[in-house]
Order: sequence, then C-alpha cells, then structure tokens
Amino acid sequence: MSAVSSSPAVARSWRQRIFGGAAFRFESLLVLAALTAIMAVLSPVFLSFSNFFNIVLSTSVFGVLAIGMTFVICSAGIDLSVGSIVGLSGVVGAIATANLGLPWPACIVASLAAGAFAGWVNGFLITKGDIPPFIVTLGMLGVARGTALVLSDGVSIYGLPPEVVYLGQGRPFGVPAPVIILLLTAVVAHVLLIHTRFGVYAQVIGDNEVAARAMGVRVERHKRLLYALSGLLSGLAGLLFAARVNSGEPTAGLNYELTAITATIIGGTNLFGGRGSIVGTIIGALIMGVLQNGLNLLAVRPFYQQIAIGSVLVLAVWLDRINSKEGRRR
Amino acid sequence: MRIGMLKTLVAGASALALTLAVAGSASAADKPLYGVLMKTLSNPFWGAMEKGVEEGANKAGVAYFLQAVESDQAAEPQLNTCNTMLEKKPAVMITAAINSTILLPCLKHANELKIPVVDLDGNLDPEITKKAGVDVAFHIGSDNEAAGAKGADYLVSVLGKDAKGPVLVIEGLSGNITGAKRAHGFADELKKAAPGLAIVASLPGDWDSLKAANITNDTLQRNPDLVAIFCANDDMALGAVESARSAGKDKLIVIGVDGNSNAVKSIVAGRLNASVAQLPYLVGMQAVENAKKVLAGEKVPEFTYVPTLVLTKAALDAKSDPMLQYVK
Repeated sequence: MSAVSSSPAVARSWRQRIFGGAAFRFESLLVLAALTAIMAVLSPVFLSFSNFFNIVLSTSVFGVLAIGMTFVICSAGIDLSVGSIVGLSGVVGAIATANLGLPWPACIVASLAAGAFAGWVNGFLITKGDIPPFIVTLGMLGVARGTALVLSDGVSIYGLPPEVVYLGQGRPFGVPAPVIILLLTAVVAHVLLIHTRFGVYAQVIGDNEVAARAMGVRVERHKRLLYALSGLLSGLAGLLFAARVNSGEPTAGLNYELTAITATIIGGTNLFGGRGSIVGTIIGALIMGVLQNGLNLLAVRPFYQQIAIGSVLVLAVWLDRINSKEGRRR
Repeated sequence: MRIGMLKTLVAGASALALTLAVAGSASAADKPLYGVLMKTLSNPFWGAMEKGVEEGANKAGVAYFLQAVESDQAAEPQLNTCNTMLEKKPAVMITAAINSTILLPCLKHANELKIPVVDLDGNLDPEITKKAGVDVAFHIGSDNEAAGAKGADYLVSVLGKDAKGPVLVIEGLSGNITGAKRAHGFADELKKAAPGLAIVASLPGDWDSLKAANITNDTLQRNPDLVAIFCANDDMALGAVESARSAGKDKLIVIGVDGNSNAVKSIVAGRLNASVAQLPYLVGMQAVENAKKVLAGEKVPEFTYVPTLVLTKAALDAKSDPMLQYVK
C-alpha cells in the first residue's frame, strides 16, 4: 500500500508523489513567503546569509521536537512531555560526561536513551494502561521535569566535551551544525512518514483506528513505537539544546511542547489525527522562527511578539479551513 | 477567489507588521546604537532598570534598542534573541543574562565582531567567562553579598543581637549567581551578628511570588515560631508576606531585596517590613554612561558596585535620604 491519497482516480503529480499529497498545506508556504518578504522590507538586516542561518538555528531545537510531534499527532495522539524531556535528556547527557567522566559518545547515547525511555514509558502507559495520551504525557511533563531538577540539584551542569559542543556550535562548511541535524532529521522523518509502512500506519491509525485494526495493523505496538520515537527526538532536541549552551539545563525546553504543537498544526497536520506532513511542520517551524527573528530585529516589545505568534497560528489554520479541497474535516 | 483571499491576507499581514514596527521600534537616526538585552520585563525591578537605561541614553546622546524574553527562565529564547540582536551590529551589547553560561556562545561571537560586552546587574560569573575565553568589558551591578548582609543587619537591628529563633531564607532561581550571593551574604552576616538566629531552611523560590508563598506556608507548618523570612528578591518577599499575614503572623519580619515599586507600596502600607533597594534605575543609567566611556577608549573599572539602601517604613516616610530619588 503506497501513500494515502484522497482520490485514487486523480493522477498523482510528481509533487504529490514526493511530498505526499493534500496534507502539505500550500497556504502555509505562502504565509512563510509573505512574512519573509515583509520582514525583508522592514528590516535591512533581515536578508543576509548569517541572519538566515540564525533563523534556522533558532528553530532547530523545537523543529526537531515538532517532527516527533507530527508522528504522534498523526496517530490522533498528543505528547505534552516533549519540552520536559528536552530538559531531562540534556541533564542526563551532561551528568554522563561532566560528573561521571565518561567519554563523549556516552553523552550522546545517554541523552537519546533517556528521551527514548521516557517516550516508551508514555507509550506503555497509554496502551497497556489505557490512559488517554493527554493525561499520560501531562503526567510525564511533570515527572521528567522534576527528575531533571532532582538529578541536577536544580543547577545547570556546565562543560560538555568539545565533540558534543560541536553538534550545537560547530559550523561545518559554514552552516550551523544544528541546522544540518534538523534537515537530516526532517528528510529521514519525511521518508518514514510518507514512504514507509511505519509512517502510513501512523496516519491510518489516526484517521480511523477501527479500520486500522481491521486491516491487521498492530495498533498498540505501533503507538508505543510512535511515542518512543517522539521521546527519542525529544532526546535529540535536548542534546542540541545542551550543546548550544554547553551545559545541561534542568529548565531547558520549558513550554516548548506548545511551540512544537503550533508548528505542526500550522504545517498542515490534522490535530485530530490522520494526514500529516513533515514538510509542512518544517514550514510551520520556520514561520514561527521568521516571526520571532523579524520581530526581534524590529525591536518589537516581547509582549507583542506573543500576540503575533498566537494570531499567526489561528490565521494559518483558518486559511486552510476556508480553502480546503476536501469535503468535511473532522 | 483563492488568490483574492490570499492577496487580502498578505495586505492585512503587512499592515499588522507595519503597525507593530511603528509601535515597537526605537528611533535610530545616526546616533550609535546600543543593544540592551534584559531577562524579562514583568518584574518592576527590570522596568526601573529600563527607565535608567533610557535616562542614561538620553544624557549620553545615544540610541538603544531593548529586548527581553518571556520569563527569567527562558534560556534558549534569550540566546536566540542575543544572536538576532548581534545581526544589527550594535555598538555595544549590554546583557542581563539569565545565568552565567547561557549566552556564552553569543558573547563569544560579539567578541569576534569587536562589540564590547557589558554584564548588566552582575549576572555573569567572571570565573566562568574567563574560563570560556569571553571578554567582558565591565560588570556593573549591586554588590549582592553586601545587600544580603544589609538585610541581616536590619534584622539584627530590630530583634537585637541576642535574639533567638528560626529564620527562613528563600533563594532565587537555582544556580543563579545573584540569588546565591544575596542568600550567602545574609547567612554569613547573620551568623556573625546574631548567632542565636538560626536559619532552619534555605529553599529556592525561583523569583516567583507564588512559590515563595507556598514555601512560607510549608515552613510555618514545621516552625510556627518563625521569627523572620529573608527573600532574595521583592517578588518572593511579597508572596511570603501575604502567606505570613494570612496565617496571622503579624510579628514575622519579612525582608526582600530590590526595592521595586510594589515593595515600596507594601512597605509604606505597613505589610512588608523592609527591602534592600538595589537602585536598578541607577544601575541602568550608569551602565550606559560607562559603556559610552568604553567606546571612547577610556578606562572603566572592571567591577562597579552601585550602592544599596535599606528601605523601611520609617525611611520612606521621612523622605530625607538623597538616594531615594533613584528608587523608581
């Protein structure tokens, strides 16, 4: 079974074949282009390579979170714990090297493992415990954050190995390393979501769980994998955060789950499950990054920035609803 | 229809952006542009510092643009904002870092761009910046240890050096050097001045008034005979005093640090007992003045400590101290 399409009789264009059809919200790309144009006009500094890299750099951490969130939301779930896992995994990685003195690969492995474990616990409680994802991940939000604070005694753990710091601050070929990591993650995730059974099943589960089960999809096992993936990517985001600031901060990622959800929704993934798009999520993340960066360059007071970001979210979703090709959406 | 709708939207978005830009941007002209990065503007302490910066900029004839983040725990957003501010190539970067480590990559970049870095309000631990190879032009702030010590001296002046009883200390955000110094200064001085007053708990209140209120409640459960509470900032002191008074502890002495406008109101109203005013207005003003000196090539001391002032109802009512003009 290849990628899901809305109307099998319509010939699929190359664009649809690669990007996966209607979930990629074209309107969001236009919003991104419009915002970029406006900011470029208003602020002469906006259009430069260094500023462009700045924007993508600032979106890299929550962009990786949003990629994981896309998979989870596709399956009609939600993961509110991603921000806290960012903090937890950064602290665990920092402890591995700064406190326990292990070699640098241990930092990377420990961060990713901590994230994946937390995600797996989420999945386990959601499936075996039959507790709604909102509740489980809300609980994990508190548990992960608290664990990070306990392990770090509330203080930031400074000093990571230079190899790890390179992941956050290095510039291979002049491009910030987190940007490259974000792009690689996005490409892999896109292929996973659109071109493999893993991703397609995630969307099918979100679209119609009963039908998915009837098709023979092992729904519970799949959900556990999805939340573990979200946790793993949160671990990666936590590693990037720690590398960027060269310390494990227990308060890292505070409120990032909301940003990740916003980026995912702006991008076109249906909040109630079903169709999803990594390309859309990246565009959504970039919209928020451009907005933030542009408003900072214009020295707009931070309180207005929050109003602007909230407005753009509603605007982008409204755009889609009035221009939707499909019939009723759930 | 779709294109028409989109055209309208783009027009609307441009109008919105323009309005925001006009509402928010600082006037630049051809004056040198100073970049000022604060933590958050929600605490009146920082609001007063911003006013001081504005006054300092007016007197020095420079333009500035000021950015802040949504809370004093938003670490990565502050780093991102710092990076973005550097894009505008300010003449100098005056930063109030959330903690000593968070802005280091950005400050290093500022060093590379030959933009002097100023540590506003002593948030950058010089040991850490030196180890990381970041050059800070100067640190300006209040001597936080001395401020804590003044809080202890005030307490002893009220209770007497032979006083006995449990005391609660509510620290700032975990790991923040300002909060740590204030708590430390208070504890050290208290031990020397009144050894009978024992600190039974020293807990982080994260600069948050509600957290401080909860800590106060919990501590009163264990130590109903608590005689004093020292908080590393006024927001927390205001939370603590509400808890204390609502528990009927009117004799409990609550001391804050900052001297922000809310604390002043509370002291005059007779609720909060005292606050060690840090004169953020003066700090902001002097930071800009000294930054101008640095840019002109003059020598500026590495550490500048702005004096502090203990605000009590008596002092505020008398209105005689000349330093009071800097309490905003």
